[in-house]
Amino acid sequence: MTLPPLHIIVNGEDHHLMVPANRILLDLIREDLALTGTKEGCGLGKCGACTVLLDGRPVHACLLLAHQADGCRVDTIEGLADPAGTTLHPIQEAFVEKGAIQCGFCTPGMINTAKALLDENPTPTEDDIKLAIAGNLCRCTGYHKIVDAVSACACGSGKGECHG
Amino acid sequence: MRITPLEYVTADNLSQAVELLDSAGPQAAVLAGGTDLVLNLKKKRACPCILVSLQAIDGIDRICLENGMIRIGAMATHDRLARHPLLREKADILCQAAGLIGSWQIRNAGTIGGNICNASPAGDALPPLLALDAAFVTAGTVGETVISARNFFTGPGQTRLPSGHLLKEIRFPCPPANAAGCYMKLRRRKAVDISIAGVAFQAALNEEGTQVASAGIALGGVAPTPVRVPGAEDLITGRSPKEALENARAIGAACVAAASPIDDLRASADYKRTIVNVFAQRCARHVLTTLKEKGKPQ
Repeated sequence: MTLPPLHIIVNGEDHHLMVPANRILLDLIREDLALTGTKEGCGLGKCGACTVLLDGRPVHACLLLAHQADGCRVDTIEGLADPAGTTLHPIQEAFVEKGAIQCGFCTPGMINTAKALLDENPTPTEDDIKLAIAGNLCRCTGYHKIVDAVSACACGSGKGECHG
Repeated sequence: MRITPLEYVTADNLSQAVELLDSAGPQAAVLAGGTDLVLNLKKKRACPCILVSLQAIDGIDRICLENGMIRIGAMATHDRLARHPLLREKADILCQAAGLIGSWQIRNAGTIGGNICNASPAGDALPPLLALDAAFVTAGTVGETVISARNFFTGPGQTRLPSGHLLKEIRFPCPPANAAGCYMKLRRRKAVDISIAGVAFQAALNEEGTQVASAGIALGGVAPTPVRVPGAEDLITGRSPKEALENARAIGAACVAAASPIDDLRASADYKRTIVNVFAQRCARHVLTTLKEKGKPQ
């Protein structure tokens, strides 16, 4: 049995690819599409570094076979800033401004989870934020500055950066 | 971590899926959300030759109320269960449990069907399903079978799912308006942690709102399978919520008696028994107090 070509829409761009059944979505993103912003941490679905948005919802790219994303939208960190690459997304700006990035390895996954949270709930409480990012481990920041950065993107945070 | 080459088929419908499973036999594995299976493939703990994906089957993730039964398609994700308005209203105990599974990322991919078929003794959805008196509808080439949740689990990772069958749907009688439920689990962290011990407690009043007409109490993580505790249920049914509340200690003791925990790296058997006792009483107080409020004349 031959597998039909995989159709995925990565950061708004259609891809029709011949992909073996045992290909992990994360490897497809990083190796086949050369989008290395998505990181491999544990590879076991525990650390959240590989978080991408599948049809807008955060998932572990390391625990999905590429073919499970057939017909789906996949958004990675590369698709977040404006396409010209000159302006960062407000969430990215907030992470920079609040010092929510240290080594940066967890940042793409963390920002993707934050994006999904703010898309569905533009006014999250601190607890909402902590619960949403519970599956994204950061070993540098102690999380306070990350929560600050996501809070700063919430509607009514007074920063005029109402997102979503 | 690479996965050994294998075949992958996306079934278009249920009959195609069961035919594929039937023809491939034990070489085949059903792929639902993949949060356990893909991990097992990576770790070489599972080595099927062919994966049969259910994700394209129309309606297999449907959640609805029909003829007094709540029906949940096996491919419904934990996150959908946790937020579903019908379930929030009628069977919140299941939403509570589904919302405590893994991380948001895991809840977006993992399914209730996977949670059931993997049959982890600590599976969070399982005690609430026992407490709700759920039944599992399985599909095979020669038709469907219905197996009660109470009889489905036979050991860690072991179920009575007939060979060649797949789990299609979960059903349970829709609890009445004057019902309440509570799921509590012990974990070391506030989120993203496996259950060390869990208690599910569901009860409903009679139509007059005077007595507890039915109760379902089940434990997770403290025996080879999730277990129901009829001895504790008997201390509640046929009594007013106030009278039942007076039995809180006895309910805790009955739950401890039904548990057979082991010492493991998460907690000692003794500690798990203590927790079962405490959580059973807390659940009892929470549910029975809620019922007392609901039973009051408006």
